[in-house]
Amino acid sequence: MSALTTQERLLQVIVAPQITEKATRVADKHQQIAFKVRTDATKPEIKAAVELVFKVEVDAVTVVNVGGKIKRAGRNFGRRKDWKKAYVSLKPGQEINFAAGE
Amino acid sequence: MQATVETISNLERRMTVSVPVQPLEEEVAQRINRMARTVKLPGFRPGKVPLGLVRQQYGAQVRNEVLSDAVERSFNDAVEQNKLRVAGYPNIEHKPYAESDGKIEYIATFEVFPEVSVADLSKVKIERPVLEIGEADVKKTIDVLLRQRATFEPVKRASKKGDKINISLIASIDSAEVERTDANGLDLVIGEGGRFPAFESELAGSKVGSNKVFEVAYPEDHKPEQLAGKTVSYDVTFNSVEQAKLPEFDADFARSLGVEDGDVEKMREEITASLKQEVDKRVRTKLKEQSFQALLDNSTLEVPKAFVNAEIGRLIQATENNLKQRGVDLSNVNLEPAMFEEQAQRNARLRLILSELVNANGLQANADQVRAMVDVFAQSFERPADVVAWYYADVKRLDEPAALATEENIVEWVLKSAKVADKKVKFDDLMGNV
Repeated sequence: MSALTTQERLLQVIVAPQITEKATRVADKHQQIAFKVRTDATKPEIKAAVELVFKVEVDAVTVVNVGGKIKRAGRNFGRRKDWKKAYVSLKPGQEINFAAGE
Repeated sequence: MQATVETISNLERRMTVSVPVQPLEEEVAQRINRMARTVKLPGFRPGKVPLGLVRQQYGAQVRNEVLSDAVERSFNDAVEQNKLRVAGYPNIEHKPYAESDGKIEYIATFEVFPEVSVADLSKVKIERPVLEIGEADVKKTIDVLLRQRATFEPVKRASKKGDKINISLIASIDSAEVERTDANGLDLVIGEGGRFPAFESELAGSKVGSNKVFEVAYPEDHKPEQLAGKTVSYDVTFNSVEQAKLPEFDADFARSLGVEDGDVEKMREEITASLKQEVDKRVRTKLKEQSFQALLDNSTLEVPKAFVNAEIGRLIQATENNLKQRGVDLSNVNLEPAMFEEQAQRNARLRLILSELVNANGLQANADQVRAMVDVFAQSFERPADVVAWYYADVKRLDEPAALATEENIVEWVLKSAKVADKKVKFDDLMGNV
């Protein structure tokens, strides 16, 4: 692993909250919250990072690798970066309020 | 809604208004609900954004809108309730929202319309200029017309007053040359006063081709200043002397002035009529000036600052436009509001008095009067019907004639209540100085 200390690494794991229709639906249905995370992040890392940043207790993490879309402008093809999405389930009674963090 | 009014000074009022928050919050929620149906955010299809997110994104903005609406509405209500007439715009100060429990409060400071009391006008004397246009006045006008169309023909005799001459001149002060005419020389008519009188009188009495050297001493207060107090010697060569020849007052002359059938009598009538019209106009202007002055002198009121400031703004604007039209570079001109203070004060006063009078006495011009005014405007155009149509095509265009007609009504009203003395005036006195 890199020379970064564990804590610095954890702070870089979460890239952004994923706020979409699908994410809000999942949040309502399964009490899960979606994040964009670094592609090289592991489940335990994500769990630790979320607990560190949002001061909540995480129950479980599932991840999915999202392939970057192929975009073309005329003759030129471009590929967007692949990224990793993490669905984080919180322990019952826990909540993350994005508004306060923004 | 609750409002309390304090009187700060004669015209200034401070109003504290409190509005319950409950209906406002409902209004905010309602608006957000309405917005949620159309709002767009990345990650969501339009209209599918959850309410919470919409509130988070737009809540503050919507609340501000609702608040300022509420402030405006409640202010107007309060004004109506307390039967105030607000002059200008209120200055609104919000009390911090958190402090108030279930209510928002704000303080509005504003000025009210002053009480206008027009004093008894019956002691006011107004002079109505009276002028009968006589034969002599018509003749004088015709003479002027004739002279304007005079033709000149060369003569051998010495120049005299009324002649048109062409001269070449060299002017010098203390034998240093200050002015020299070019090859075309200088055209002037002796005795028309285009030049300094002493200079012109020296020009009489010389024949074509002759040469004259003379000196003219200019007085200290002469304008332009370069010549003031100086003695200038002139060396003048007379290139031509021409005598004025007035056209005959006949059919040809009439035709040249646009009377097509060359009827001299008809032309005389037309001139008389237009003189009468002109005199009438001047008389009315005089009466208006006097009436307005009388109103200003006999009314007591305090003018709201807001009005004076607005008036100052208007005057500055007008002055700037005026300067711009004359091609003055505005960046060099600094118009201080103080320069217009007095004028603005007067205008604002007059405006208030007039509007009060109009309201109190029902002097608003009616449609017939406006129509009559438009007809007067149109008269001086070639196709009056078109002009009238133009005025009536847009209601805004009628503002000016309506305002004028109303002013006339006011003048009438003043004349009715004031003492009006007829005063005979001479034609030249009336026409000269306006």
